[in-house]
Amino acid sequence: MEQFIISPSSGIPIYKQLYSQIERMVLNGYFSIDQRLPSVRQVASDLDINPMTVSKAYGLLEERGYLTRLRGKGMVVTARDNEVLQLEKLAMLDEMIKELLAQAKHMGISGDKVAQMIKHNITDELNETVGKE
Amino acid sequence: MTCIVNVKNLTKSYKNQSVLEGLNWEVEQGDVVGLLGKNGAGKSTLLKSLLNISDIDSGVISIFGEQYNQLSSSSKARIGYVPQENDEISWLSVKDLISFRKQFYSTWSDEKVTELVSRWEIDLTKKIAELSPGQVQRVLIILALAPMPELLIFDEPAASLDPAGRRDFLKEILTLVSDENITVIFSTHITSDLERIANKVAILDDGKICYFDDLDVIKESVVQLTVHCKKEQNITIPHLLRGKLHSQGQFAVVSQLDQAWLTEMKEQDVEVTINPMGLEDIFLELTA
Repeated sequence: MEQFIISPSSGIPIYKQLYSQIERMVLNGYFSIDQRLPSVRQVASDLDINPMTVSKAYGLLEERGYLTRLRGKGMVVTARDNEVLQLEKLAMLDEMIKELLAQAKHMGISGDKVAQMIKHNITDELNETVGKE
Repeated sequence: MTCIVNVKNLTKSYKNQSVLEGLNWEVEQGDVVGLLGKNGAGKSTLLKSLLNISDIDSGVISIFGEQYNQLSSSSKARIGYVPQENDEISWLSVKDLISFRKQFYSTWSDEKVTELVSRWEIDLTKKIAELSPGQVQRVLIILALAPMPELLIFDEPAASLDPAGRRDFLKEILTLVSDENITVIFSTHITSDLERIANKVAILDDGKICYFDDLDVIKESVVQLTVHCKKEQNITIPHLLRGKLHSQGQFAVVSQLDQAWLTEMKEQDVEVTINPMGLEDIFLELTA
């Protein structure tokens, strides 16, 4: 059974915590297409949270096209073509990069420097893979 | 939405000490409301006023659309209440107390009683006076839940329960509220319980409900900000609760995050970092 992790006392609303976890799990393939998600009641009872909170997260995921509500079956992962999926993955990474750049800016480190660091990391990773072979 | 509890201009004072000062509050059907307030803020007084256990000085209270002090007996049976202190007859055995209370309700569920008594390992033969505070609290909860009420009022229900007992109590409430017609109001100091089960938070301070909103909305509105400017600049932060200036900016807590202001700051190349806070900190900031 899929288990989500939440931290109720965090400043981030629980529905948002659930939303981003499930979004990630759909994008990284942990939940495959057509896979059925645990019911609202099940998740609420596993995590000891209000069912309304789970419904809110599921509703938002449905609205954004990640999940589809099937009559009598509950929520399943929406089947989408690879192109759309790819765009969504890129959008998510884009968010993360923006956050990274904002953090760098706070520290007084330029975007160019960050780009350079990313390039370095890619080279290191390549070298490691080559070394292993 | 159906309004279950409606309070208008409620005032109450003890001797010369005024506790509630023109309090207004509306609770809708299906809401699970956590009521927060400092010690002595008047949480118990407010809850007891709703139930007509405590006299009020002035104001209008309606429950299920009826005047609170003229509730029909059928409406009374739709309310479950767990008091902060045990006022039950302490020389009765648990079993006798349960049968005594049962006769007042037509909707009483023996099934519910049996289920909870066995789950919470209550010894029915013991006298109330012989039980530990935690067990007394569980018995009071059973008595409140047995008539299958539509409005549940808990006054610090979890205060004498250990963490496992509290979690079990929360589970029971969550099972109840999966029926969307049930309304719950509970006062507590344990904000983490509230964060799990409540969809709304009410904060009682200075004799009024000073804040009442969705828990999610509160968490996204009341936040800490760090404001950092590159050049010397005077910045006025809207809805400021508390702020501290330092060389290149400010640390601040706001009661309402202003999106238009955020955009404006971005245009002026001022960096604003938003740090969300847990409910406990939010409560402390709002009632400081």
